[in-house]
Amino acid sequence: MLLLSSGRIEEGDWTAALVESVETRSLQAALVARGIGVTELQGLVMAAMRDGAFATAVGEIERYVVDECIDPPLLPAARGVAPDLLLDWTARRLDAIAAFSLSPYRDCVVPAHEAEPAGLTAERREIVAHATGRRTARDMAFALGRGLHPVTVEIARMIADGLLEIAPPATSFRCSHWGLAALRPRTQAGPDFEISLRSSEV
Amino acid sequence: MFVLSGSTFPILKGSELDYDALSAELRKLRENVAGVTDTVIAASDGIPIVADVAKNIDPAHISALAAADLGIARQAAEVIGLGTLSQTVVFGSEGYMAVYAIGRLSLMVVLGDKGLNLGRLLHETRPVIERVGVILSS
Repeated sequence: MLLLSSGRIEEGDWTAALVESVETRSLQAALVARGIGVTELQGLVMAAMRDGAFATAVGEIERYVVDECIDPPLLPAARGVAPDLLLDWTARRLDAIAAFSLSPYRDCVVPAHEAEPAGLTAERREIVAHATGRRTARDMAFALGRGLHPVTVEIARMIADGLLEIAPPATSFRCSHWGLAALRPRTQAGPDFEISLRSSEV
Repeated sequence: MFVLSGSTFPILKGSELDYDALSAELRKLRENVAGVTDTVIAASDGIPIVADVAKNIDPAHISALAAADLGIARQAAEVIGLGTLSQTVVFGSEGYMAVYAIGRLSLMVVLGDKGLNLGRLLHETRPVIERVGVILSS
């Protein structure tokens, strides 16, 4: 997703690489053949792994299953990462965002001002444009095609800078039935239900 | 001229549909499944009943599309002999539209972004559909 959203690879090339990798069993080789360097690719793999660990840890884990699956991931990290090291990185990220009191999965954000303040970076302008009041940091990360951690941190900083604020529940959830009159309960039509054609009125 | 006596979805003075209960179900679904962006409950003829959607989404439009989508899927299921249709899902490169049958007279539409966990959605929606069906028919 990061490769596609950044425009680093076209969707057609990505699909072709996926198809090719079924036979060669190496997505990395298929992507490298399409002009993406091994170092760049491995950098992305590491970033995705760290972001995945953060996304898992910052959410709620209801249950987990340990299985014997030995299927290798599509794009494995060349040298792997020790679980202790990954946990350590993740714990530091969790500690860092704890100071912001922004829940990446719960809190929706809206711009704090009606008019967009001048001098925003392109990255911040993009975040403001996506802050509809119905999107959480997680939703924005997907909409922007970026990692959850960098987007969460940037949103938290923008709240601290007075550019965004957490949306009230009435904004993040807007249920409407347009004041329509109550409808008859949805029950299956009985035998007295009929559609008649008055041929004399045709 | 055709005259319909006894429409499937008449407005009945005095009856009360519990819109608050329906809204609560839609809200819980969006809160419980990350990636759900918009939800609509509509009659199977494409008339929206209640919706929780972004400003740029027209519930009437979505309801009409969903009704057509569900109608085609239902027809396919019946013609091919797949039994009673429960749901149909449109997969796009940018997201999903899942349409659930609520009995034969209503439907629920769930729109999701590309990060939606579809398995989680299907798991969570089953009891929601049952409860919404009860609310609509009580």
